[in-house]
Amino acid sequence: MNDNRSIFVIIPCYNEAKVVRQTVTGVLEKGYTVVVVDDCSRDGSKKQLSGLPIYYMRHRVNMGQGAALQTGIDFAKRKGAKYFVTFDADGQHDSNDIPGMVEFLEKENADIVFGSRFLPGAQTNVSRSRSFALNFGRYINFLVSGIMLSDSFNGLRLLSTTAAEKIRVRENRIIHPVEILLLTASKKLKYAEYPVKIHYSAYSKAKGLKNKDGIRILFEIVLYKIFG
Amino acid sequence: MSITIIQVVLTVCIALIAVYMYIRLRSGGWLDIMLIVLFFLAGTFFVLFPETTNDIAHFVGVSKGANLFLYTAILFLFFLILKLYSRLRRVEEKFTEFVRNKSLEEAEELERKD
Repeated sequence: MNDNRSIFVIIPCYNEAKVVRQTVTGVLEKGYTVVVVDDCSRDGSKKQLSGLPIYYMRHRVNMGQGAALQTGIDFAKRKGAKYFVTFDADGQHDSNDIPGMVEFLEKENADIVFGSRFLPGAQTNVSRSRSFALNFGRYINFLVSGIMLSDSFNGLRLLSTTAAEKIRVRENRIIHPVEILLLTASKKLKYAEYPVKIHYSAYSKAKGLKNKDGIRILFEIVLYKIFG
Repeated sequence: MSITIIQVVLTVCIALIAVYMYIRLRSGGWLDIMLIVLFFLAGTFFVLFPETTNDIAHFVGVSKGANLFLYTAILFLFFLILKLYSRLRRVEEKFTEFVRNKSLEEAEELERKD
């Protein structure tokens, strides 16, 4: 039986004033510890979080989601977290998936569990074109990392202390999910996938990755392979 | 030997670059100064006697001296871009660590105050 307070939900936030409070409240209701890493938002996101029992951190300069995640993980490690959940601020993830992910990680004795919107049992309203782009992405990820996931760019993940210790995100921006996959492979971490609910709203669609970002991601992967 | 306008322009440019390098490396030792002098002499020599570059080009199997120069320049620039990019990545990593440590410190401080 896990004490939910030892499960740290790390929420990177950049200009999410419209939705961040709702997202954070949903997680807090389940009794998890929330770490919001504000990546230098300029839209009053901080104000939206006032009065909530969370750990709030702020980057003085906008560094990117990957950097914010690593900052949150570092902080959670200092606080003695047992599990680390990476969770998007835009409201597309569902905190009801977390207990199942924890249980699954323990049952599978895994180090990291990736959320998937494409496994049987998952729920998503992903569009056909996005689904196609994500499917293409998972083959690219397989080519570079040797890991074939059913969902290539899902921000909902659960990390054990071992994974949090061994994975150090150095890619600040768009390809940090690929880096996490590469590190999972190179550090020989045991991974598993768990079906999760992803709900795209008009807001999260406008904020999230676009299909055209695929070219940029490919280019960044090549650079990472050369210099990373 | 008649000197063309481009030869004058290039010689002046090489001299200016050499002076600039000398000013930048003033604290450098004799080796630095020798390298600058060598750069100036070699550069001026090839500008004034361009046909010698053809001889070198033929020696390595390139048709013209200008082509040889272009190939080496492209390789050098490519190498420079790689060096600069990897340095940029290192700087960004250090900067990220700096921003991260600052926010970690501030979070701890905020917690102590509460």
